[in-house]
Amino acid sequence: MFFRLLMESFRRQRRRKMLAGVAILLGTTAVTAMLALATTIGDRIHKELAVYGANIVVYPKTDLLDVKIGGVDVKPATGGSYLKTSDLAKLKDIFWANNITGISPELPLQIDGTTPSGELLSASGIGLWFDHALSSDPGSIKTGAPQLHPWWKLQGAWPKQPANEASDSDAVLGAALAAKLNLKIGDRLPITLPPANGITPGTPRSYALRVTGIVSTGDNTDKQILLPLSTAQTIAGLPDAVRRVEVSARTKPEDAFARVDPDSLPAKQREIWYCRPYANSIAYQIREAIPGAQAEQVRRVEQSEGNVLARISGLMWLISAAALLAAGFAVSAAMATAILERRGEIGLMRSLGASKGAIALLFYAETGILAVLAGVFGYLLGSGLAAWLGARIFAGDGGSPEAVLIPVLLPVVVALALIVAIGGSTPSIRSALRMDPSAILRADA
Amino acid sequence: MIKLSLIGMLRRSLVHRRARSLSALIAMTVSAGVATALLTLYADLDAKLHKEFRSFGANIVITAPATAPLQTDALAKVKQAAGSDALAAEFAYAVATTDQGTPVVVGGTDFAAVKRLNSWWQVDAWPQGQDEALLGQRAAGFVTDKKLVRLTFAGHPITLQGAGHLRTGGDEDSRIYMPLATFTGWTGVAPTVIELQVPGGTATVEATISRLKQDLPEMQVQPVRQLVEGESKIVDRTHALMYGAVLLIALTVAVSVLATLSASVLERRRDFALMKALGGSQMQLMGMFLLEALVLAIAGVVVGFFAGSAAAWAISEGNFHTATLPHLSVLPLVLILNLAIAAMAALFPVRVLRGLQPAALLKGE
Repeated sequence: MFFRLLMESFRRQRRRKMLAGVAILLGTTAVTAMLALATTIGDRIHKELAVYGANIVVYPKTDLLDVKIGGVDVKPATGGSYLKTSDLAKLKDIFWANNITGISPELPLQIDGTTPSGELLSASGIGLWFDHALSSDPGSIKTGAPQLHPWWKLQGAWPKQPANEASDSDAVLGAALAAKLNLKIGDRLPITLPPANGITPGTPRSYALRVTGIVSTGDNTDKQILLPLSTAQTIAGLPDAVRRVEVSARTKPEDAFARVDPDSLPAKQREIWYCRPYANSIAYQIREAIPGAQAEQVRRVEQSEGNVLARISGLMWLISAAALLAAGFAVSAAMATAILERRGEIGLMRSLGASKGAIALLFYAETGILAVLAGVFGYLLGSGLAAWLGARIFAGDGGSPEAVLIPVLLPVVVALALIVAIGGSTPSIRSALRMDPSAILRADA
Repeated sequence: MIKLSLIGMLRRSLVHRRARSLSALIAMTVSAGVATALLTLYADLDAKLHKEFRSFGANIVITAPATAPLQTDALAKVKQAAGSDALAAEFAYAVATTDQGTPVVVGGTDFAAVKRLNSWWQVDAWPQGQDEALLGQRAAGFVTDKKLVRLTFAGHPITLQGAGHLRTGGDEDSRIYMPLATFTGWTGVAPTVIELQVPGGTATVEATISRLKQDLPEMQVQPVRQLVEGESKIVDRTHALMYGAVLLIALTVAVSVLATLSASVLERRRDFALMKALGGSQMQLMGMFLLEALVLAIAGVVVGFFAGSAAAWAISEGNFHTATLPHLSVLPLVLILNLAIAAMAALFPVRVLRGLQPAALLKGE
């Protein structure tokens, strides 16, 4: 009998059920979409913040001081110490290796040569990776300077890694340098090798650079020649040498615990510190992995990033809370309306001898079924909406469109829908049950 | 016989069905409150986000030409051109040698300005006196006594007290900073660089740059490109996200209000039939329902505006640590939104009821 009543109620009062159902559906859709966006917003914004470039720099521990003003090396260090290119592959073995998204080694050098028009060329150059696989594994990340400097604007193409024995190589010119020397894409620059180079056996006696692109960077790199790292090492006569490495890593925003010195912590705490993706812990692991290296977080990027990230995701959570509140009000108002409308039914059932408990159970069962059905649909709809919104807003960063179907949200959202719907209908059910059945029936007749 | 006025009928209708009126009023209040809160936050969002991005430091660098240093009034001119809420600091650089014979870049600047401009500098103690210096953490490894720093520039020695260490992870780590007056007195080198922080997106920064180029034609003005581009990108994304959220929530609330209000009208089919039987015209009846809904909507807007402004204030205080004051400018939009919802809610069921026969309704079919 109970089930028949339940079934008939859904079959016969479709309009009323629709109204409450649509309210719950929309409420859960909004809440699911907002929660799904709020939980993924951290990663998404972090990807956006990657435009600020590297957040960790690695340099040799025994290095001399940089004498740089405004990005220009005033006294280029002769000699000094270098890191080894071959050591960089070790970065993929550290604990947080999967969080490292980009590596860009640099080797500055001086380049002298002549331009096609016969002018003498004397510029600083920099050896970089452009699209370099970190190791020969097929799964290894391909990385390089363009990835870590998304604000560089290239005209033409990045240089290709030269074949070893080649006596010429591709190069990209900084925009300011190209304009000053009136050079364009396709030009060939014969360059003279520094005398120090004679020491290294097997290096070519003459060398030429082929301009494949012109890059505008907005900083001092505009006045430089960008070469493949191996070319720079050959020209400078410093095989395997790297002056500085920029590393971009996904990190957890710094908190008080991140700032403590790990060596002062007891073993257990140290382990926890080590196993959290703070910029500091990743830098610590890089120091461990590469002998003679000093790794530092780039504070300008790292500190401010955490700040912005926290604010934006905080905002999203608060908006989700507002959505939850609004949806809660909306659903409970709709439920209250649905019950109020059916006071006549309650009166009739009471006068036919149904107990208060039985009636309440019937109404709660109806509400529950409605809430679960509409909640599940709302969850699916909301997840779809979140995926669509996320893809629309954060499109075009090379990030794959992620599915935003978060299974944990399903029980949460359905439970919320249940609680709100039952909570919203309780006052109306109670007040309807409290009234005298004959009065309700008469008023309705 | 008492003549029923429209106002009287309206009052009766609202008071008599108190529970129903209250639930409709709550629905309207929630819709107005949510709309107010979200619109207020939305209106302030860009300013708030740009403020957060100030922690990234300078986004414009002004450099003097290689031939001449900055003019003495350059900083004042820059500040004037950039507006009152911009932060600026000037820097002078020279290469000196430490007591160990290592060349080191020394910088002279105004520490109070730098502290505000570059909040990402991690400094354990800022220099207070005129003869105190700030040592970059790498530079500190190249001086013998970190408390008593001896430097030489072109044969002129100077001894400074090391106040604290500076850690940035950038070029600053290899420098030693001191107050500008001390620096100029020692080296005779005048400032050559002004770092400027203008709050705002690409458009604001570009406008400021062109103003600066006009006012200071001899100088090189350049944006810190990654900061300016990144900031605009993220603010735009957040803006779009917020826009989506506002639309979504508004839709939810609107449909629920529609459901509540139209249920309330539909439930009164009897009143409708009775009025029609007594000679009310279709227009009068519609006007009656409409008026009732609009009164509720306006009451909802009044309460909801205050509640929503309070919510917006609490959210921005909690998240951005700055208050958002109520924006009167969102009120018309909220009002229009709520009135539209109310009108739709009242008119939608009336259309359904139009085809019904009063007699049949009154009989209870």
